[in-house]
Amino acid sequence: MPSIASLRREWLSNPVGDILAGIVVALALIPEAIGFSIIAGVDPKVGLYASFSIAVITALVGGRPGMISAATAAIAVLVLPLIREHGVQFLFAATILMGIIQIIAGFLRLDLLMQYVSRSVITGFVNALAILIFMAQLPQLIGVSWETYAMVAGGLAIIYLFPLLTKAIPSPLVAIVALSVLTIFGGIKVNTVGDMGELPSALPYFFIPDVPLTWETLQTILPYSLTMAAVGLLESLLTAQIVDDLTDTSSDKRRETKGQGIANFVTGFLGGMGGCAMIGQSVINVKSGGSTRLSTLVSGLFLLFLIVVLGPLVSRIPMPSLVAVMIMVSIGTFSWSSIKNLRVHPWQSSVVMLTTVAVVVTTHDLAQGVIAGVLLSGLFFASKVQRMFKVESILSEDGRTRTYDMSGEVFFASTDRFVAAFDFKEVVDRVVINVSRAHFWDISAVGGLDKVILKFRRGGAEVEVIGLNEASATLVGRFAIHDKPGAADALGVH
Amino acid sequence: MQRHILACVDPSVYGVTVIDLTAWIANRLSASVELLHVIQRKDAVAARHDHSGAIGLGVKSGLLEELARIDQAEGKLAIEHGRAILADAEVRLRAAGVTEVKQLMRHGSIVDTILEREANATLVIIGKRGSDHQFAPAHIGSNIERVVRASEKPILIASRGASMPSSAVIAYDGSASANRAVDRVAASPLFSDLPLHIVMAGKDDDSHRVRLASAITRLPHATPHIIDGSPEKVIASLVESLGDTMLVMGAYGHSPLRTLIVGSTTTAMIRTVHVPVLLVR
Repeated sequence: MPSIASLRREWLSNPVGDILAGIVVALALIPEAIGFSIIAGVDPKVGLYASFSIAVITALVGGRPGMISAATAAIAVLVLPLIREHGVQFLFAATILMGIIQIIAGFLRLDLLMQYVSRSVITGFVNALAILIFMAQLPQLIGVSWETYAMVAGGLAIIYLFPLLTKAIPSPLVAIVALSVLTIFGGIKVNTVGDMGELPSALPYFFIPDVPLTWETLQTILPYSLTMAAVGLLESLLTAQIVDDLTDTSSDKRRETKGQGIANFVTGFLGGMGGCAMIGQSVINVKSGGSTRLSTLVSGLFLLFLIVVLGPLVSRIPMPSLVAVMIMVSIGTFSWSSIKNLRVHPWQSSVVMLTTVAVVVTTHDLAQGVIAGVLLSGLFFASKVQRMFKVESILSEDGRTRTYDMSGEVFFASTDRFVAAFDFKEVVDRVVINVSRAHFWDISAVGGLDKVILKFRRGGAEVEVIGLNEASATLVGRFAIHDKPGAADALGVH
Repeated sequence: MQRHILACVDPSVYGVTVIDLTAWIANRLSASVELLHVIQRKDAVAARHDHSGAIGLGVKSGLLEELARIDQAEGKLAIEHGRAILADAEVRLRAAGVTEVKQLMRHGSIVDTILEREANATLVIIGKRGSDHQFAPAHIGSNIERVVRASEKPILIASRGASMPSSAVIAYDGSASANRAVDRVAASPLFSDLPLHIVMAGKDDDSHRVRLASAITRLPHATPHIIDGSPEKVIASLVESLGDTMLVMGAYGHSPLRTLIVGSTTTAMIRTVHVPVLLVR
């Protein structure tokens, strides 16, 4: 049970800053929730309810105080086919299952898998996410009147120039209010939030999604839920890392994993879509002075207040102002230094980063991009390490004994080079293989050693292996065949 | 066994008393002393007053650099300051005749650092309030209660400008922690030549006398007192009448939840008396 002191630290260490930051964040949540509800093909209320519920629940049970979670772009782009083919009720069911999968992942400590995701993959993930967010704004920008372009440009100008005047109030809020006033009183014809679908007018309530409880339903939603769960955890754990770095504090990744699961599980029953942590909004939160659970909670509650109490006003907000805010989030999410670093970093890491981005942009699935990036970085790593292998050999003065001195890493990628390093045509009485400075990592390496020894034996030489270090020796002892009866015959079978 | 004292010094007005008490006890127990100063990081996130909410090019790396710069500037000052405090403390201790003194400066929270370092200490000495709390006179530092609750060791809480004790008062209520306090006093050479008083709050009747008698058998030289009234008032008035003394008591017998609702005698005592308080868990 957390002590009173740690509760106080996680909630009340800086209440004024946290409440202000929470309000700023709530304003930045609205465009994303509404925008991506529209992209997913559901009413804005599905995204808004989700953002409220996920923000409030992760504030209570998440593992990273100060991180903002809500309905996100990353999840929204995944569920479009599901909604188009089966309807919104299946989305709620998929969200519930997504939550269950994430809770199980928390118990299985799958958050530890993050250590295999290299920095290049993470950069690629972040850039791909920023591109997805930007691309999602394009439908609002194609085939529209010149007023829309002017308003987006004006909105961006306010967002970036207003802070030069004062940093006391959030400039995205100023942009939204100014552009709303302009459209309402200036009578400018642009899309408004109300044109995009139904806004909520009441508090969300619990209900069971209206889907048949059959095997077919599970088969339909499971692939979606798995991808949603994976993408959600990836973005959440990555964002937690960013908030950790910014605040120089640590977080409980396992608790965060379970917390995301609980939040999505409950959100599905409230009629919301799945969500996860948001990089852009979490950075906004920290930048505005928020670092505790209180700011996350305030962002969720204030969002609900905005949409339920000020709903009629929210429905008149012009879409171009929200597009401007989302372009800002996209710019803030993108890692601009990565472009500069393309020329400086090793080419392998650039390839990994670009591959991750390319796969995500073509598939709209962040999970596939990360898998591609991780595989590629694994391959590059293996190809680098397999070069760390050297063989030297000397012939004794009487010409009867050849000593091979091996050093470096022997594993699946370097086994062929290991075997090729021996001269089997040479006629000697005795071969000494000194492996004291080599390490045998896997079955392939042991198999390679077997092959070498048996080949020498069949050529009539005595073979002696010296200096197997402890880890190698266990592996060799357990899996090698050269020291077991019938070894010479076995080689023919291989 | 070599006795070892962990003394926590900070720039507050209690710092001087902590050092004087440490010297007094270290000399009586011939103990070695570790002077601990903890640098607590101010929250750089909260220190920025930027509610613009606009994020632009390179915001993540830019923000990280800015926060690191704020922390670094404050950190350097804090380290300089901490070195000076520790050096002053060591000079004062050595002047008082303590020979084995070590300095230690750590980053982190005061509570966590004390818990980390107390493992080989016989006694922890800490000021009644930290340097952040110079405004509320009858308030105890928020860290003290957390340290006392989490610590395994006896903790001596120094009050402001107190002179060295010439006697000791043991607060006794028959509870397990009070009995441990009695045992501790009986066993420790610190109290061997000090006049002892043992005080119990309540009516002077048989049941109280029987309970007090069990403590007296272990501390035959102590003067017993049974005074009617609330523990806080009874103990405080006895302490006041004795002047230069110290109070020994068992600490925090109840759960944090109960304390939250009904308050804690321990906290109240630390707050009201103006002499050093030795808390025994």
